[in-house]
Amino acid sequence: MYYQITHNTTYRYSEPASLSQNELFLQPRETAGQRVLASRLDILPAPHYQHQRVDFFGNSVQMFMVQHPHSELQMTALSEVETRPLAVPRAELTPPWQDVAASLAQPVGDEDLQACQFLFASPLISINEAVTAYARASFFPSRPILAGALDLIGRIFADFHYDKAATTVDTSVAEVLASRKGVCQDFAHLCISGLRGLGLAARYVSGYLETIPAPGKEKMVGADASHAWLALYVPGSGWVDLDPTNNLIPAERHITLAWGRDYGDVTPVKGVVMGGGVHSLKVAVDVRAGV
Amino acid sequence: MSQDDTTAQPVTPDAALFQTAPASAAYREAWTATGAPRDHWRPLLQTFSGIGEELLAQRQEKVGRMRHEDGATFNPFDDADAQEMAWALDMLPLPITAREWATLEAGVLQRVRLLEMVLADIHGPQQLLHQGLLPPEMLFANPAFFHACHGIQPTAYRFLPYYAVDLYRAADGSFRVFRDYGSSPAGLGYALENRIVISRVFASLYHETRVQRLAPFFHNLHQSFTMRAGLRREDPTIVILSPGPDHLLYFEHALLSRYLGYPLVESQDLTVRNGRVYLKKLADLEPVESIFRHLPDEESDPFTLRRETINGVAGLIQAAREGNIDLANPIGSGFVDTPALPLFLPGISRHLTGKDLLLDHHPAWWCGSAEGYREVQDRREELELVPAFGRGERRAKQAAPLSSAPYAWLGREPLSPSTVPACEAGRIVSRPVLLRLFACAVDGGFAVLPGGLAITAATAEELLSGHPERQHSKDIWVLANRPVEPFSLMEGLESVTEFRRSSDLPSRVADHLLWLGRYLERAESLIRLLRALYRRLGSETQSRNLPELPFLFALLQARNPLAGKEGDAVPLSLIDWDEQLHSTLYRREKTESVVALLQRVQDAARHVRDRLSMDSWQVLNRLGQFSDSSGGDALEHLDDTLFTLSAFSGLAMESMTRGFGWRFLDMGRRMERALNQTDLLQISLQQVCGAGRYGLESLLEVADSSMTYRARYRTTFQLAPVLDLLVVDESNPKSLAFQLNQLAAHVEQLPQQSGRRFSSPEERLALEMLTAVRLLNLSGLNCGVAIVEHLELPVFLEKMKKNLLDFAQHVTAHYLSRVPTTPHFTMIPAEGEHVLPNHP
Repeated sequence: MYYQITHNTTYRYSEPASLSQNELFLQPRETAGQRVLASRLDILPAPHYQHQRVDFFGNSVQMFMVQHPHSELQMTALSEVETRPLAVPRAELTPPWQDVAASLAQPVGDEDLQACQFLFASPLISINEAVTAYARASFFPSRPILAGALDLIGRIFADFHYDKAATTVDTSVAEVLASRKGVCQDFAHLCISGLRGLGLAARYVSGYLETIPAPGKEKMVGADASHAWLALYVPGSGWVDLDPTNNLIPAERHITLAWGRDYGDVTPVKGVVMGGGVHSLKVAVDVRAGV
Repeated sequence: MSQDDTTAQPVTPDAALFQTAPASAAYREAWTATGAPRDHWRPLLQTFSGIGEELLAQRQEKVGRMRHEDGATFNPFDDADAQEMAWALDMLPLPITAREWATLEAGVLQRVRLLEMVLADIHGPQQLLHQGLLPPEMLFANPAFFHACHGIQPTAYRFLPYYAVDLYRAADGSFRVFRDYGSSPAGLGYALENRIVISRVFASLYHETRVQRLAPFFHNLHQSFTMRAGLRREDPTIVILSPGPDHLLYFEHALLSRYLGYPLVESQDLTVRNGRVYLKKLADLEPVESIFRHLPDEESDPFTLRRETINGVAGLIQAAREGNIDLANPIGSGFVDTPALPLFLPGISRHLTGKDLLLDHHPAWWCGSAEGYREVQDRREELELVPAFGRGERRAKQAAPLSSAPYAWLGREPLSPSTVPACEAGRIVSRPVLLRLFACAVDGGFAVLPGGLAITAATAEELLSGHPERQHSKDIWVLANRPVEPFSLMEGLESVTEFRRSSDLPSRVADHLLWLGRYLERAESLIRLLRALYRRLGSETQSRNLPELPFLFALLQARNPLAGKEGDAVPLSLIDWDEQLHSTLYRREKTESVVALLQRVQDAARHVRDRLSMDSWQVLNRLGQFSDSSGGDALEHLDDTLFTLSAFSGLAMESMTRGFGWRFLDMGRRMERALNQTDLLQISLQQVCGAGRYGLESLLEVADSSMTYRARYRTTFQLAPVLDLLVVDESNPKSLAFQLNQLAAHVEQLPQQSGRRFSSPEERLALEMLTAVRLLNLSGLNCGVAIVEHLELPVFLEKMKKNLLDFAQHVTAHYLSRVPTTPHFTMIPAEGEHVLPNHP
């Protein structure tokens, strides 16, 4: 599929802000299933300082500073990508999950070692007994790892309700488990915590998803949102993406921006501003399929 | 001392030492196994054996006081009971022989070199991980490893320019490493302070003993900073970054700042622009090349690392990434603090250098490895379970945590360090001791401080608690074989004074200096008023009928609304004046009481500690003792306090260069005095004549101008000359005109954005006020006439007051709040919901 993505973020300040600093993870990654055809970032007012780098996990990061008083700040990321579905390993043929956990505990190859980055608790994803116990229900002894994971995201999909008001970026996985409410990011964090609790490696993926309007309705511009899911390390097959919010294995409709240990590593838009009084924020994402 | 042993004298300290030595297997620093003193302890023990208990207590008290006067124990909290004192100094030093020191020094040098290599590797190629010398947990489960810092190349490739290590001596007499510090090693300032105090108290012993000097190390440290910072700019700015006066170890930051000559700054003083770090100063932003960082890693950059911290400089990591700032230490160096790391160092050392480590580490086992796990399981009764990562000394109840994440735990052999004679509360006791040693980068390697901080505590557990306020410290004397070079501490100071070049100063400091000036003046004028009252009330005559009393009480009431119910005016006769005066002196809750104002003076001074001379600081510490519990006569108390305040102001003003700091301190004083004089005159106009000549006399007294008046007029007290002296006489330092003249002169000298004179509102206001007072006509004024009605004076005073307040506001707006300091952080959550039809 070919997609054009427009991600617009606007801050408005009641009093001029004197200094603002932002870090953006808005440039899509090249992956096996995704080619980046173009990517551009427009910032208004024009920043005095801009810097681009590749982070520890291989993501593109842009950082910029606006250093004179401004009462509005607009960032627009425009990207064109081409996606193709990848072959999904047959779940029943993947290795038993305990074998995977055992090999990650004593990593030998480089691939295993890289996976170890995503094996432990991270700043926003703690590992706790309740969440691990929730996940364990999907992983009976010797169950193939991917079969267990698919079962787990199916249960999350069934047990949890989407509720934008229920959580913030700081809500812990334990709270999400207790309230059974949240957004895509919370479901991804919860699922990752459960998998890591079992000794499996799981990473957080940030990106977009093409929305399909309800039958008979026109698709609205800017109605899309940042999306988040996770990827599970399956020895022999590599990383397999899993979307607990939609209970599926992402294919060509998911567009990958970046991945890390949790949301904090790859926050799409993160900023700090000095002054500025009362702030208002508007985010509009538009994912448009083309030919 | 042997002769003391044989006689039946009262218990001498050395005999006491001998008696209190515990019957444990621990190594005794001062005594051999047979109970004889070790050779290198003899001169010390000799000195103390002659002293006797009483003198011992006196000496220890003197040591405590000297430290107190240097501000080491300055109480950072309002509550006087909560005196928090870090590493209280014990006067008995810990001597180390030259031979043992050679071993220690070589061991520390080898270790810090190795640790720097480890830091370079984990922030770069991570070969140690790939070659299996560090398990993945050490990086990926370790909160001290920051992904954001990976790939950053520090200045001159120095990953660990500054390092501290805790060692202890095991029962067999060998030294072992207990802990490493890279994030923000603490204690160097205390080591310096201890040396300064001890070398003064035991001057002759210190000079007779060949003790290695500390100064060369500080010289090295400074050289290393200037070398690295100098790579960026010829005349670099190096600052010390402290969490601020509420930090338990702030004293140390201030001391290092003064000693090294680097400005002491807090996070709000710094800002990042264009990927560079700047210091916010009155005139401009000044680029900073190097930061001696006393904030832990995780609090250093709230933007990148942690949003909830109040400290830190947003964007600091980005500046480091761009290679625009030298940090000592670089963020991420806290990795060397990881408790489990020492276990892997022997292997890493052999791999990287082909050599074994000279210093062993304290025995411990990591539960993340199969062998370690088994060992800990087998010996769970003996071993202590402590976290493998993080800095806490939090211990776990056995069993529970091992099942879920064993890699997060260490099983550690209980520590039984050597013991050392310690002087506590006038008694000699035996205490477990840790040695904190320091190293800094020098060209091509490292240098170790020949000395350090010996830390003692009541128990080994307290020793590890990480609570400096529950521990004591000693000076470490490294003995030399040869005569030591007379490298004085002061020499170190001189060689760096040239770096205090700029008279410009951080806006935050200017703000505190301004308020220091205001509170000083406010306290002084209140004390003068109270003194005038106590003088009249204290005498045995029927003083309560003195004619000027109502006038003086009215002045007091204007400053300090008295406690009437619901603001009702209480007839003066019904007020319990003794009670009122007492509370105006001592009530802490009262904002305008003497004790509360003195507290504010101290608070403001605390924030600018590095700007004040040692002498003025010592004087200031005496103000903390002001309370009614100290007993004595109130009048005497007021006299003393006024004297102390004057001494402080004099010292502070005299020792300050006539830069902006001095100007702001003085402006604060002038503003306050002008406001106070205006208030005083407004009330006087209504009251003073009623009290006749005594009223005028007491007005002059309260306004501190009696002497001038008498010298000038010698005659009786008359309204016109009194007002002339207090309002328009520009030669009287207490007159309103004098204050305005000074204020006008100050604002003229402050940095201006535009070169044109009188372009700023504060300049225009200063000129307007000065002109108004100069044009004021006071002729024909005397008490016989209804002054309030037919003179311009009341209007003038009203207008003056408003202008003064506006002036103060403009100065603040222009110079002191140039850059808003409250950051707002945003992170936008990913909010996607289910938007695809369920997959088949």
